[in-house]
Amino acid sequence: MIALTLALRNLWKNRRRSLATLLAIAVGFAAINLFAGYVRDVYQGLRAAAIHGEGLGHLTIAKRGFFEGGSLNPAHFIFNKAEMDRLRAIIVSEPGVVLATPQLSASGLVSNGKLSTIFIADGEDPEAAGRLRANPLRSAEPAQAGLDPSRPAAGLVSQDLAGMLGAASGSSLTVMTTTLAGQTNALDLDVIGTWDTGTAASNDKFLRLPLAYVQQLLDTDGASRVVVLLDESLDADRMRAALGAKLGAAGFDVDMRTWVERSNFYRQVKNLFDLIFLLLFSIVFIVVLMSIVNTLSMSVMERVREIGTLRALGMRKGGVVRLFAVEGGVLGAFGCLFGAAFTGVTAAAVNAAHIQYTPPSSSNPVPLTVAVVSGTLAGSLLVLSLVAMLAACWPARRAARVEIVDALGHV
Amino acid sequence: MVTAQLPIANAMSLIELKAIAKTYYLGRTPVPALRGIDLALERGEFAALWGPSGSGKSSLLNLIGLIDVPTSGTIRIDECDAASLGDAERAALRNRKIGFVFQSFNLIAVLSALENVMLPLTLRGVGRRIAEPEARLRLQEVGLADFGNHRPDQLSGGQRQRVAVARALVTGPLIVIADEPTANLDAATGHQVIDLMRALNRRQGVTFLFSTHDSRLLDSADRLIGLVDGKLETVKGAAA
Repeated sequence: MIALTLALRNLWKNRRRSLATLLAIAVGFAAINLFAGYVRDVYQGLRAAAIHGEGLGHLTIAKRGFFEGGSLNPAHFIFNKAEMDRLRAIIVSEPGVVLATPQLSASGLVSNGKLSTIFIADGEDPEAAGRLRANPLRSAEPAQAGLDPSRPAAGLVSQDLAGMLGAASGSSLTVMTTTLAGQTNALDLDVIGTWDTGTAASNDKFLRLPLAYVQQLLDTDGASRVVVLLDESLDADRMRAALGAKLGAAGFDVDMRTWVERSNFYRQVKNLFDLIFLLLFSIVFIVVLMSIVNTLSMSVMERVREIGTLRALGMRKGGVVRLFAVEGGVLGAFGCLFGAAFTGVTAAAVNAAHIQYTPPSSSNPVPLTVAVVSGTLAGSLLVLSLVAMLAACWPARRAARVEIVDALGHV
Repeated sequence: MVTAQLPIANAMSLIELKAIAKTYYLGRTPVPALRGIDLALERGEFAALWGPSGSGKSSLLNLIGLIDVPTSGTIRIDECDAASLGDAERAALRNRKIGFVFQSFNLIAVLSALENVMLPLTLRGVGRRIAEPEARLRLQEVGLADFGNHRPDQLSGGQRQRVAVARALVTGPLIVIADEPTANLDAATGHQVIDLMRALNRRQGVTFLFSTHDSRLLDSADRLIGLVDGKLETVKGAAA
């Protein structure tokens, strides 16, 4: 208690110096938390884009080896209709599974009669696709065009691809590919709309087609995978373990990938941002460390006689270290609290400004938002306060080692 | 002035020093500060340590106060051999049995007079509920009952030293060591502080050992210990 009293009063006594240190900590703390808040929103946006925008769902279940060799030998990894029905029945019986829908991919050439270009298509159940593609983060925006269950030969064209082909709702294209048996096949496709895939890399080549249409293109009644949508509160890895046990017991030799594992873009962005965050945190860590060491070294120099007096009156060496550690901790904690307030105000201002920007690889502008992440706030407050406390120990240990007689004679 | 007659320690002396030597080093040059001091102090004594500047008064007080260690010799305080104590034990012994009054008062600037007086008890872990009334009582004893909330910079030199005396007494120590307690005070205030210490010595039976080079203050002491060049030279009123 006396350590806290002395810490608070000495900080107040040297308030100009304390304020400078406090501001350094506050700015560092705010930098960490604003960046963490921004990154959190980016991650959430990318997550929703992967799960709903790309239609990856939370889990994708396919025959073992599909994810490595599925594109080379697609016929080998097809679930026939009977297998698919049994598989889906097992999956949907698991609590927390919202949707389990078959998908089948195809690739080839799409033509408007004058121009042909490559395409990649996902064949989806039109009714299930509406639920899978409903992005909860964009629920306030106008609904995007979807597949029409009543039109089995109508599909959606990604925006840049539609631009290349001059396709619009109501126009007609020709889709050409090879069947699973290796024969060339072509079908007409009615364009019922366009959509934005969210990433520039895919926005010029993707088609969304009815599953039955793709089955007809590939000459099969099966599908290559089941995409599973989960309750948002559930963890995909845990569900994978639970479903893996169930499907294994039912005789299915399957491989399951979470959306994180399937979304290269998400992983790349996350790895990059995590690295930037680590660098930022390291810089703030060093700034806080040096500020505290500097401030408390000056404090120790000025208070040598006081330390000698306290030691003469019975304070142990550990007590001296504790005295300055508490002072460092108090500086750190107050700095973080100021930083938290600064974070909240800045985040609110940024969010209220409705700033738009186009991230790299993105096909269109997105809002710049900054979340206030309570976990990061609490964690960084704890870590930086501890850093401040530990940083104080170095000058404090020097102070504790000063001989009492020398300290009392110090001017 | 009385001819040198070194007191022989009684079996139950409060402080016993035997063959104490203290040597400092200026670079590699040894500078002896104390040379073979034998001294005993008894309970309830009011003793003055006097001598010219550089005679070793502060060195001797530092050793008796357990804030320094001798180069050789033994110190016993209340039958406890100081050499056998570790740093933490010495700190605890200082807190329990020794009170300090410093030349420059050494009050903690950010604490009030009352908090300064409470400080030794606080360091011992005594709660405010017990420490505060005790500290108020001590402030009352030194005539500063109304100055408890004043910070040191709001007090005069004499008042500060009286707060320091109250702080030294708050733990009920066996001995109060005062190193030149009047050096930073004017003559009248210096006398008042010495008179206060004397009165507390008589009233409470606490042993006081103070150093001074002001011969006008020596009349108050019932025992004079003279130091010249690190040796005991004269003693008035040998230990009982």
